[in-house]
Amino acid sequence: MKIVEFENVTRIYTSGDHELRALDNVNMTLDEGKFVVILGPSGAGKSTLLNMLGGLDSPTSGKITVNGKDISTLSSNELADYRAKTVGFVFQFYNLIPTLTVYENVALVNEIASDALDAKKILAEVGLDDHLKNFPSELSGGEQQRVSIARAIAKNPKILLCDEPTGALDSETGVIVLKLLLSMARNYGKTIVIVTHNQNIAKMADVVIRVKNGKIKSYEEQDNPMSADEVEW
Amino acid sequence: MMLLRKLFRTAWKYKAQFLSMIIMIAIGTGVFVGFHIEWYSLDKNTSEFFEDTNYADFRIYNELGFTAEDIAVIIDIDGIDASSRVLSVNVGVKNSEDALSLFAPEDYTVSKMLVLEGIEYDKDSDGFWLSDKYAAANGYKLGDTLILTYRGIQIEGEIVALIKSAEYTVCVADGNQLMPDYDNFGFVYASPDKIFNALGIEYYPQINIKSDLSKAEMESVLNDSPVKTTLLLSKDEHMAYAGPQSEIEEGQTMGSILPVLFLAIAILTMVTTMHRIAANEKTQIGTLKALGFRDRKILMHYSSYGLALGIIGSALGILLGFGIAGLIINPKGMMGTYLDMPSWKLYIPGFCTVILILTVLFLTLIAFLSVRKMLKGTAADALRPYTPKAMKAMKIENTRLWQMLPFGTKWNMRDLVRHKARSFMTLFGIVGCMLLLVGGLGMKDTMDRFLSLINESVNNYATRINITENANNEDTVSFAKEHNGDWLAASSIKIGDNALTLEIYDVEHDKIRFIDEDNNFVDIGDEGAYICLRLADDYKIGDTIEFSPYGEEETYTVKVAGVLRSVMTENITMTKEYAESVGIPYHISAVFTDESISDIADAEFISGKQSKVALMESYDSFMEIMNIMVWVFVLGAIVLGTVVLYNLGVMSYVERSRELATLKVVGFRDRHIGKILISQNIWLTFLGVLIGLPGGIFVLHVLITSLVSEYELKLTLGLLTYSVSILLTFGVSFVVGLFVTRKNKKIDMVEALKGAE
Repeated sequence: MKIVEFENVTRIYTSGDHELRALDNVNMTLDEGKFVVILGPSGAGKSTLLNMLGGLDSPTSGKITVNGKDISTLSSNELADYRAKTVGFVFQFYNLIPTLTVYENVALVNEIASDALDAKKILAEVGLDDHLKNFPSELSGGEQQRVSIARAIAKNPKILLCDEPTGALDSETGVIVLKLLLSMARNYGKTIVIVTHNQNIAKMADVVIRVKNGKIKSYEEQDNPMSADEVEW
Repeated sequence: MMLLRKLFRTAWKYKAQFLSMIIMIAIGTGVFVGFHIEWYSLDKNTSEFFEDTNYADFRIYNELGFTAEDIAVIIDIDGIDASSRVLSVNVGVKNSEDALSLFAPEDYTVSKMLVLEGIEYDKDSDGFWLSDKYAAANGYKLGDTLILTYRGIQIEGEIVALIKSAEYTVCVADGNQLMPDYDNFGFVYASPDKIFNALGIEYYPQINIKSDLSKAEMESVLNDSPVKTTLLLSKDEHMAYAGPQSEIEEGQTMGSILPVLFLAIAILTMVTTMHRIAANEKTQIGTLKALGFRDRKILMHYSSYGLALGIIGSALGILLGFGIAGLIINPKGMMGTYLDMPSWKLYIPGFCTVILILTVLFLTLIAFLSVRKMLKGTAADALRPYTPKAMKAMKIENTRLWQMLPFGTKWNMRDLVRHKARSFMTLFGIVGCMLLLVGGLGMKDTMDRFLSLINESVNNYATRINITENANNEDTVSFAKEHNGDWLAASSIKIGDNALTLEIYDVEHDKIRFIDEDNNFVDIGDEGAYICLRLADDYKIGDTIEFSPYGEEETYTVKVAGVLRSVMTENITMTKEYAESVGIPYHISAVFTDESISDIADAEFISGKQSKVALMESYDSFMEIMNIMVWVFVLGAIVLGTVVLYNLGVMSYVERSRELATLKVVGFRDRHIGKILISQNIWLTFLGVLIGLPGGIFVLHVLITSLVSEYELKLTLGLLTYSVSILLTFGVSFVVGLFVTRKNKKIDMVEALKGAE
């Protein structure tokens, strides 16, 4: 079933006389429950695509439909509600609140998401039940990213959006985090979209979308994606 | 050169912070310099005036008059440089209710006048040298004729000069008048010969003396001489000198309370802001270091911000200081309604320059230290963005209550603890705002209460009639009876070395009423004497007090029966019945009646008449100034609160922009985030008000006791003052909070989330 649809989406950034076409007439659809990887070199427009999908940014023209709803014309409050209920983010640099504990960082979504999951349970699933009272600064990078994953899952969103989720981690930790991310997404039946320039991650995906110069260069469905253990890192 | 460009561009980037620092430094140094210029200029201008006119150091009195032999003796005393017999009495002005203090010196060497227009003093002249301010207020010009009335006799003369005199720097009729009122009272110089010709007798009840002796020394040389003196007053006890002197002391006191608070806030603002700018600039600082710039060069570059801010802020501060001082030290300004002197120049004390230079150096040092912290370690260390201290759990977090708090509350509380300096500064700003509001508005409440106390409670008469020294009590009593009046016999007494007033009353008609410490009416009984609040520190009810009339050996012992609030004089009060029972002799000095001035015929024993309306009007200009001061305090509070809170709010917002962006990405609405941010402000405001309210009352107490120690003011705070102070403080905090949180909408989530923690 279709969960995301981009129709002629264009995003232009202007600064002074200079015009940058970050996305140029993009059309694509994503199916529910799939693991999608968006690949591309720096500046290709893959993060812009993710930001559009996540409601962090709106297209200059075109239409984005998520879960049957047009999000390209939403007000800032409606966008906030969209981010609260429909999408969960995992960033390269975790973006945890430094003054909240591990537990509080995850539980804070209870304030905005109506059917949020139990924070303690999720944190136990990502293996952090011993660190509930720790502050982010007391954790390793891998642990912080696990908190970030737990926070994204805890909102119980339809889609998980991850921007280079392993980019700041060493490869060993990266694999562990990636595995966790996938298993959590699968267990909870989430669609997951990862933006990366790491070709290896693409081997595990159901769908690989390659982006270049703001356009979709290729859209490839993989019938037999590899598991993380099969990929040579 | 490139660094210089960077300097300007960085300054532009942080324009809100730089502007607020400049404002705070300007206000801090301005208020500091302003108050010190005020008292210092007052000191210089009055000293110059006293010196130029050979203002007398001592005045001695004898109601019977000093003889030619007396003055010859006085002049020969060692240590007395100059002296003159003087006739100094209050006289009336024909066809008006006005009074003038007439000053007729026998020997024009001490207490001279300053002629502004017209001829110099001439003992043979038949003219009057009239106070220029009285002349201006009443439309007199040179060449006009002035008719004085004294004891029913008219003395006529031409106005030959308009003058000022150091003798009348504070031109009031007597101790009952607080502020000069040139519409109704002024002074005039005349040749004694002219006056005595009119009166038909020679009468000098006063000698003015120029001498460097101390009061005790003067007292002893006078006691050793055959000259009989009833009262000796040093210049410290003479209004013309004591008035400005107490203003100078008040200025010094004020200069050491408020300005220090402002200066401290300015410096603390600089510390927190500079630290945050340096933290924000850390990667740039690291880049410069990585490029090969020496630490010294980078330090100099960033220290120059501190130096520039210090110099610009202080320069504006000096201007502001002269402006503030100019408002006060100005013939049309606050001091101009009180003091009459020729020169109103502004002088800045030397130590202010030193303090200003030190402040600028200190501000430079703050910038230097902030940047040095960021430069520590290798170039790679410096390149890493600034990370605030790692979070540690607080003790309270183990409690159940903590677990129940919403996330916003926890976030705010941890943020307050994590950024202690910022939280403390915010609190400081709010407390400062509250202090100014309570201090300013409370001062007005207190003065309003004081005036209504004088007008409505204590002085229950329409007219006060002053009685001459040589009138006899029986005549005065029958005069009082005739006019349904009460009377007062006031005289100077001494308790040890302390000179004060003895007030003996007959108040059958309640024309004068008495109040206790709580401003409740009390009836004074015949069983003892009543002391004023100032004396209540030394004596309790039931104690006995021994005193002697000024200049006499005889002592009297009275029992303390109660304590009264005295609105003016430091005094002992008693009924005539008690005075008579102890055997204290008295001479009636004033009668109070409900009849108006015009209904009371002039008589030989009447030396002056004063309506209560005129007395109260003399406070008008004083109260106008008070109102301006209150506005200055309120405006100062708003500026202080706004600048400090806005600056810190923006800083806090910049620091937390990454967290705020995260909250937005997670799905929090702008309003929700705004509420959390404002609630932090509101907590701090609540705490600030809790501290600031008693603090403000304390400041008010200090102001009242140090600034107006000459009256027994009751610290009064109206309900309106409480509500306005609290609401205004919360209002400032809330509005500034709104302005800061509005920025929240503009957070670019994508930008803010880039880069490493």
